[in-house]
Amino acid sequence: MPRIITNETYGCPPIRALTFDSLGLIKVTEARGKERGTPTVVNTWGEMNANRSVIAASMDDRLDNPLLAVARKDGKIEVLNPCTGDLHFSYSAFGDDGCSPEDNEVSGLHLFRKQIDDQAERSCTLLTCTKKGDVSLRSVKFPADSTDEAAAPKTWKACGTGELLFGKVDGSENFGLFGGKRVEANIWDLEQCTKIWSAKSPPKDSLGIFTPTWFTCAAFLSNEDHRKFVTGTKSHQVRLYDASAQRRPVLSFDFHETAVTAICEDPDGHTIYVGNASADLAAYDIRTGKLLGSFLGKCSGSIRSVVRHPRHQVIASCGLDRYLRVYDVKTRQLISAVFLKQHLTGLVFDSGFSGEETAVANTVVDDDATEENMTIMEQEDDEEDEEEQEDEAEKAPVKKKKSKKEKRSRKKVQEDDDDEEEKEDETEEAPVKKKKSKKEKRSREKVSEGEETDEVRSSKKTREHKKKTKKVKHNQED
Amino acid sequence: MGYKRKKGDGDDEEMDGEDRGRPSFNGSEKRNVILPSMIKNKDKRAKVYAKQKHEKKIEKQKKIKARDAAEKRALELGEEPPQKMIPNTIENTREADETMCRPDDEELFADIDADEFNPVLRQEITPKVLITTCRFNSTRGPAFISELLSVIPNSTYHKRGTYDLKKIVEYAKKKDFTSLIVVHTNRREPDALLIIGLPNGPTAHFKLSNLVLRKDIKNHGNPTSHEPELILKNFSTRLGNRVGRFFQSLFPQEPNFRGRRVVTFHNQRDFIFFRHHRYIFEAKETKTKGKDGEKVKARLQECGPRFTLKLVTLQHGTFDPRGGEFEWVHKPEMDTSRRRFFL
Repeated sequence: MPRIITNETYGCPPIRALTFDSLGLIKVTEARGKERGTPTVVNTWGEMNANRSVIAASMDDRLDNPLLAVARKDGKIEVLNPCTGDLHFSYSAFGDDGCSPEDNEVSGLHLFRKQIDDQAERSCTLLTCTKKGDVSLRSVKFPADSTDEAAAPKTWKACGTGELLFGKVDGSENFGLFGGKRVEANIWDLEQCTKIWSAKSPPKDSLGIFTPTWFTCAAFLSNEDHRKFVTGTKSHQVRLYDASAQRRPVLSFDFHETAVTAICEDPDGHTIYVGNASADLAAYDIRTGKLLGSFLGKCSGSIRSVVRHPRHQVIASCGLDRYLRVYDVKTRQLISAVFLKQHLTGLVFDSGFSGEETAVANTVVDDDATEENMTIMEQEDDEEDEEEQEDEAEKAPVKKKKSKKEKRSRKKVQEDDDDEEEKEDETEEAPVKKKKSKKEKRSREKVSEGEETDEVRSSKKTREHKKKTKKVKHNQED
Repeated sequence: MGYKRKKGDGDDEEMDGEDRGRPSFNGSEKRNVILPSMIKNKDKRAKVYAKQKHEKKIEKQKKIKARDAAEKRALELGEEPPQKMIPNTIENTREADETMCRPDDEELFADIDADEFNPVLRQEITPKVLITTCRFNSTRGPAFISELLSVIPNSTYHKRGTYDLKKIVEYAKKKDFTSLIVVHTNRREPDALLIIGLPNGPTAHFKLSNLVLRKDIKNHGNPTSHEPELILKNFSTRLGNRVGRFFQSLFPQEPNFRGRRVVTFHNQRDFIFFRHHRYIFEAKETKTKGKDGEKVKARLQECGPRFTLKLVTLQHGTFDPRGGEFEWVHKPEMDTSRRRFFL
């Protein structure tokens, strides 16, 4: 029997999710409005090309200058603006010598949130790791013309044999965690590029069977502590490691029957969300290893990534069933599902999104952030201006105001027909005429005052501009 | 005493009920309606039921007559005949599905162009199929396989032996097979079909039921070795499209029309019906109102096996039930409605 539970929290809080798919498209899904809405696809970036399918993605979603890094199947790494989809720059992870990316793919990507050098505003640092174990740490500045300054990337081998399947960086961004097929989980100091800890595989079980190491995913438990992390393995095990305690897992438990493919931590520090290859998604308390509950959402395809929203009580999952699903954390109910047509490979939340138009405008940051701010200010000023005008015109009905404007424009164009217009003016009602005269007066005053007063209000450029034009008109009339 | 009287009363009421058989339909009577099921005497109850049934039948006939007459009259008068009623079926009241393939969807076509079956369907590679069985195989299994071999051109059978399926997949990859079919038998009856796309195509696991072999089909024909035509019907969702293309990739893409051989995969309510026919166009001389003309009529003859498939899982990559990723698995929580279909 299907469970029928009435859901109290239907509708989605304002979220903005970016999904990446096997055709190399980036789709933006937004749920707008202060009230709970339904998420819809608002934007699709990139062209469809199966050779450029997205493998890994990382996002720096600070408020003022967000960046999004994307690793593609052909070895290209691109840094984009997550608000507009504009490409800032791209480079190949395999260098320019063109090592064939067929047998070697990018498996992990991290975009650093902290700035390594503060003076260079438009730079970012990227950590990439490939399946063969090459890890590189590269900082880039992006107007592309300043390539001469680009420092040589720090590279090292994180593993000798085997396949590296994930690379994670902890909250303080000093340590990296790597692991994969036949590669034990190990922690590296990113400053010195040295391995500081590596795990030890669990002992043989009671039957003397040794399960080969095959890590598929990992997550640090909290932002502060780099020593505690959770990993998922191909042999459907979830393991908690504590680097300060021992090299073997502190806790491990089985999760269903198929490989664990995605793990995500909750900000509370002890809840984790685990997704696997046969589309099961569940929440576990990692302190005890007990199941808190599973997320039933008619999900039918392998889960490729699970992400917890930093502010809202919401997690999202996506995977091979071509759906983006949003669940409530508390009730564990499906809030909404969006069909996105392709196999989805990754998912990122934009936490700077608040669901309102103005907020979006604030997060949109172009190359010249300051100027943009200015223009926003000016727009606001404009609005104020208009309001003022409206206040003035409160007594006069709006329609008449319009007619007056029309008249004015006509005057501009055809000054010859002045006589006729005067007639028209006479036919019109009194309040309109009064108003007009008032305005004329004002303008005349301004003219007499000279331009200095206008210059005082230099911040309100547009307003000034408008008035100037008005003045010109009136001068012509005079 | 009292008991007897009561019984007598009951009888009276029964009689009333029988009399009121029709009036009770009108609802003109105010008294409590006695349903035939409340009559305790079986003989009487049966009579009442028979009467009701007969009345219903007559009513229905009348209705049909009236409808036919109206249609005829409309035809004579040259009017539009009244619209034919369309019965509601489970298929046409199916739950709306957003994954339906639409012909104007660019992303869909780009995705299709990028999938694993594309080289076969573009005729860059000719399909080559390896058929094998599960470990234990007897009676109906081999018979079914021999018929499958006659259905699918360019297919070969290999004994399973004691090899791991993953080893066989490796072997088939090396030998340039494009797909691998494993017939699974349970209790000497084929009950599952595993189709693996090679070298990196998906793996589909089907439940197989209602298998009828060629010799059990009345008036069956024997297939020729021509390449068959293929009919895929009702594979309409994104998943259905993928499964349909998977079937398509088993067969050569250029049918030999001289063979007049058709293989049908018909999807209905998520069950895929497999049929294999030969057809012929027969010209029959007809004499209609003095005009001698030839009427061409298609005749079908069924040959080959007949079976029903139901998708259990669709897996990304080749066979790996433990470690592989599933594109689609059926879960009990998905069965929320009998009008919800996935293919």
